[in-house]
Amino acid sequence: MKFKNGITEKSIIVKCGADMMLPFAVVFGIYIILFGTVSPGGGFQGGVMVAAAAVLLYLAYGYKTAKSAINTEVLRVGEAAGATLYVIFGLCGLFIGSVFCQNVFYDNGAVGDLISAGTITYMGYSVGFKVLTGVGFLVLLMLGLLAPGADDADDDEEEDEE
Amino acid sequence: MKAKRIVALISILVILAAGVYAVVDAYSSGNYQTYDGGENAKAIVADPDYYDTSEASGVAEPIVKKNLNDTMAANNVAAVVFDFRGFDTLGESFILLTSIAGAYVILSVSKKKKKEDEE
Repeated sequence: MKFKNGITEKSIIVKCGADMMLPFAVVFGIYIILFGTVSPGGGFQGGVMVAAAAVLLYLAYGYKTAKSAINTEVLRVGEAAGATLYVIFGLCGLFIGSVFCQNVFYDNGAVGDLISAGTITYMGYSVGFKVLTGVGFLVLLMLGLLAPGADDADDDEEEDEE
Repeated sequence: MKAKRIVALISILVILAAGVYAVVDAYSSGNYQTYDGGENAKAIVADPDYYDTSEASGVAEPIVKKNLNDTMAANNVAAVVFDFRGFDTLGESFILLTSIAGAYVILSVSKKKKKEDEE
């Protein structure tokens, strides 16, 4: 259904499908990030899967709802924080007198445990956090320019501020 | 405009010729197969020790033989990405950071201009 101001009402099938798939997208993406060192996957792949949840939210409920549900400022800061964390975990090798990105604290737990691989695990988590915040922020930024009804949403925000 | 199109056409033709040459060369030399069918793939999945790694040499030698002792990461790919070539991954993730920062700067400027034009 299309209204006069250009905002399209999404069909109920898309809404129900997105409602069903959203938890799975988020949970499975986080699983891929967390188990990056013991099973196929890793930070980049899982991060993009979690960021796809923002696209699902946009497809079902439009740009206005997606923008109000997700705090883009947190995403913008979180990406820089993830990149900084990666460098800090990489520098851990320097503090024990070895080279950058040297794997340290890896001798706790058996092979196959969740946290058995030392800094590889934590670097994977920081890359995952960085990718999910960064790609989510990029998706929302581009949808804000391209989506129909995005300007109306911005106007509404300005009215609220006044 | 026309010169640009000619340059683009020439570069595409050069890339295409290089690709065709690579395919023909790989096929005629007989080294185009990545899996030679020599090992039982199902048995390798069921029991990774079935694969003979004793002949790994060169760059593959520390990755295949010493991975579990050095990193204790069961996923060998994660060990390669974050340890053996960790510096490369740093650059890879900073490409993403830089591109998103650039997109943020350009898109927010164009958004402001659009509003000013409307006013």
